Formats: sequence, structure tokens, C-alpha cells
Amino acid sequence: MIRSDIIRGHLESIILRLVCEEDRYGYEISKEISSRTDNRFQIKEATLYAVFQRLEKKDLIESYFGSVSRGGKRKYYRITTLGKAYLKETVQEWKETKEIIDLFMEGLN
Amino acid sequence: MKEIIGYVEELFKNIPESEQKNAVMQEVTQNLEEKVWDLMEQGKAEEDAINKAIVDFGDIEDLKQELGAKQPVKRNLPKLNLWYSIWSSLLIISLFVFINFYYTPDIIWFVYPTFAVLWWPLTMYFSWKRKK
Repeated sequence: MIRSDIIRGHLESIILRLVCEEDRYGYEISKEISSRTDNRFQIKEATLYAVFQRLEKKDLIESYFGSVSRGGKRKYYRITTLGKAYLKETVQEWKETKEIIDLFMEGLN
Repeated sequence: MKEIIGYVEELFKNIPESEQKNAVMQEVTQNLEEKVWDLMEQGKAEEDAINKAIVDFGDIEDLKQELGAKQPVKRNLPKLNLWYSIWSSLLIISLFVFINFYYTPDIIWFVYPTFAVLWWPLTMYFSWKRKK
């Protein structure tokens, strides 16, 4: 599995992206991350909830209770306008970062 | 699921009570249970499913910080110490001055104890500076 400390700094963006596509709840997000990466990256649930707290504190996402499933009410998250703007900015930032790192990482084996 | 509820309670037991904590605990429990159901649907035995869900959960340190085992606000002790030393030395010195001029106005000796006492606020001043 991939070293998670590099991804760690981008977890907020990853989760914002997933929530941006549609409103989602915690377990769904962790499943989605695993399946999209073919299990090459799995987020620890404990980390996931920490990120939710951070994002909610910064008003980038908001939560509401949704349908009742087995076990209780799911807590869904939806992205806020501020969150969308923030996500757009991090995408731009990532593009630039990638270009810079690529300058040094590409062309070698 | 009793195991899951017990696990979550154990996990959060050192975090100070708050509404936020309860909300997160509820959320975590719900999601873990859903994961267990999911795993069981994929053909795992209940016990295996519960164990896997718990192992996958990971380390809670990050979350703890987010839920604020809030750092107590540190009082500015070095500064307090400095003020205490200044006021106390002033009192002591004025006492010496008074005794000096009241009983032996012809010999000025209060300078000597004053000099000794002044080391105290001086020390406190520098220890305050160092902390800054």
C-alpha cells in the first residue's frame, strides 16, 4: 500500500471532491475511496472522522441526518458554497504542485 | 451490535463529554455497524466482520485532537514571578532604607542589602525574557 503521509495532506480535497459529486455518508466515502483506487489506498475511518470535523469547523461541508438504515440514521455530508470554492482552489494548487514535483521525478527510473 | 458499541465507548472514553463527541460517537457506531453488515453480506461470519471493521478503524489520535481534549490555557507564570519579585524587593529595600535612616542616619549601609536583594528580580527578569 502506498505511503499515506503524502496523501494525508490532500485528504481534505479528496473528501471534498467526493462530497461535491453527491451528498455522502462516512462509510460510503471510505468505500468509494477504496474502490476508486482499487484498494491501493484505504482511508482509516478514524482519520476520516477527524477530517469531517475539520471541514465542518471550516464551514466547507455541512451535515444532516438522512435515511434510516440498519443500525440507525446515516449522517450525510453536503458541500457548501465555500467548500466548492475551496476545492477549486486546491485543484489549481495541486496542478502547480504536480508540475513542480514532476520536474524532478520524471525521466528517471 | 454490542461489540461495536462497546468498542466505540472504549475508544472515546478519554475524551471530555460534549455534544460534538456524542454526535461523532453515534456516527461512528452507525457507520461501523453498516460496514459489519456489508462484510457479512460478502460472506464473512459476524465475528470476522466485526473484527475487520475494528481493525480497519485505525488510530483515533487525530480525531481526539479535533474533538479538543482542549489544552488548558497556560498562565503567564514567568511574568507573574517577575512582578512578584519586583514588588517584594521594593518592600524589602524600603524597609532597609527606613531602618537605616531612622536608627543610623550617619552611616549609609542600606546599599549593601539592596544590592543583594536586587539579584532576585534580575534573575526573574531574565527567566521571563528567556520564555518569551
